[in-house]
Amino acid sequence: MTIASAPASSSRRGPRPLRLHRFLHRGGMELACVLLGGLALWALLSQVIPRPDRYLPSPGTVVYSSFDMLWKGLLPDFIWNTIWRLLIGSGLGLLLGIPFGILLGLNRTVSEMFYPILNFFQSIAGIALLPIVMIWWGSSEQTVIFVILYTCLFPIAFNVLIGVRSIPRIYVNAMRTLGASRLRIVRDVILPGALPSIATGVRLGIGFGWRAVIAGEMLAGQRGLGWMIFTAQQVDLTAQVILGMALIGILWVTLDRYLLRPLEADTIQRWGLVQR
Amino acid sequence: MSAATSTFMSGRLGLDRKRLRSIALGAIPFLLLLGVWQLNTYMGWLKPVYIPPLGSVVGAVFTLQEDCPGPWGALTMRESCLFTNHLLSSLGRVGLGLLVGIPLGIGLGVLAGMSRRLGHAMEPVGVFANAISGIAWVPLAIVWFGVGWLTTLFILLNTIFWLVFFNTLLGVRGVPRTYEHSVLTLGGNRWHIISQVYIPGALPSIVTGVRMGIGFGWRALIAAEMIGGNSGLGFMIFVSAGEYKVEEVFLGVLLIGIIWMATDRGLVWRPS
Repeated sequence: MTIASAPASSSRRGPRPLRLHRFLHRGGMELACVLLGGLALWALLSQVIPRPDRYLPSPGTVVYSSFDMLWKGLLPDFIWNTIWRLLIGSGLGLLLGIPFGILLGLNRTVSEMFYPILNFFQSIAGIALLPIVMIWWGSSEQTVIFVILYTCLFPIAFNVLIGVRSIPRIYVNAMRTLGASRLRIVRDVILPGALPSIATGVRLGIGFGWRAVIAGEMLAGQRGLGWMIFTAQQVDLTAQVILGMALIGILWVTLDRYLLRPLEADTIQRWGLVQR
Repeated sequence: MSAATSTFMSGRLGLDRKRLRSIALGAIPFLLLLGVWQLNTYMGWLKPVYIPPLGSVVGAVFTLQEDCPGPWGALTMRESCLFTNHLLSSLGRVGLGLLVGIPLGIGLGVLAGMSRRLGHAMEPVGVFANAISGIAWVPLAIVWFGVGWLTTLFILLNTIFWLVFFNTLLGVRGVPRTYEHSVLTLGGNRWHIISQVYIPGALPSIVTGVRMGIGFGWRALIAAEMIGGNSGLGFMIFVSAGEYKVEEVFLGVLLIGIIWMATDRGLVWRPS
């Protein structure tokens, strides 16, 4: 613990040079070169090819299109819509998937029974289901959210099931020997024991869900980032397409790096049963 | 992991009693689901437009294949063999994507991972590329390649390549340098290090990358076929949904699940 906290306190004293040093040491210069080289190549290509507006607008044009959309207030609106959909869909997926996985995992026979069918439904990508759902409910908000919910639900339930199964029987038996009730076993052994798997499932489910949001918006025509790049392509605004792609990438990296991955790592560190 | 769990998760061939039991148990929910589905048709709870009868889903194979001149025509992808054409075109794309994407990803991943500094530099690039890979490329791919075979192949390749590349890179970087040095000390050259240290050392990570690549790639392919394709299972379900041929949609969706399960089953890496 003391070893881990030492660099933190020293970085508090002088965070800038240390961080800069680490950044440069871990390939920061190379990263900058790769990025600048990539940008230069992109800019050069857009100068050389015919009709750059259509095929590959220059980086400057892409940035300019973001100013344009910001000024009109469209961009924040699209981003917010997409994130909101992801939150509702995956939130519902979590609420349903975790209890479902735990219930199925409680009994060995039941879990053996449901393993293949959960795997099967996990294999049918939510996006493949979209045409069916469109027939049911038309191109509505409900359709997109259902697809996200479906996409999240199965990876989460599946991982929770595996997590519950992987808890050593000894712990359950120990609790039982000490006279614990079923509820206590669930609360004190199964839930904490399955938490690392739950965290993995959550990250995986939200990852699939994020892709489902983009695809769902494109196909069901709901306003958001996916819809933005899809409609921009149809009216030949390639700069907007690239802007949307970059935003999709940045948003997901931010979400994954600063929320989901730390959550998973901390959960595994706190509750993980694997001794390293 | 206890004995029961390990047989339950492993897919070893050989039908012992435990395996038979787990197959029988696993079949129960499927049979129940089929039963409820059939019951729905008889009782008419939900209209056939929403949930088509089971028989018509099976029948859709024959309707789609109606004008097909036999198995040879199906294999040579005659235009009239709708069902097998869509199936083969999806599978062919997956095959081609894997054939090109995996060697490319492993090769470049090892190259980038060989230099520690370049490896560190490429990591954020890989993270970012993975974050946009798949469906988000579809509009741009349509602009570049038009609607069709190339767009869908590009999406699939893009998804597979970046995941394999990224995981290979991480795997190579994780190989302890001692091994590399010892091979060098024993007189090995660069090629020896690559073939005897980097690739075996990174193999678990590479397999994870391949598996994830196929998982994400297959999903992206279906979506790409819907939006930017003119053949394949994704295209089939999308067009059939537009024409309200629900039984064809169900057929396509079930097939997508079955194919994916079969692929994944052959690929799941079981450390033993």
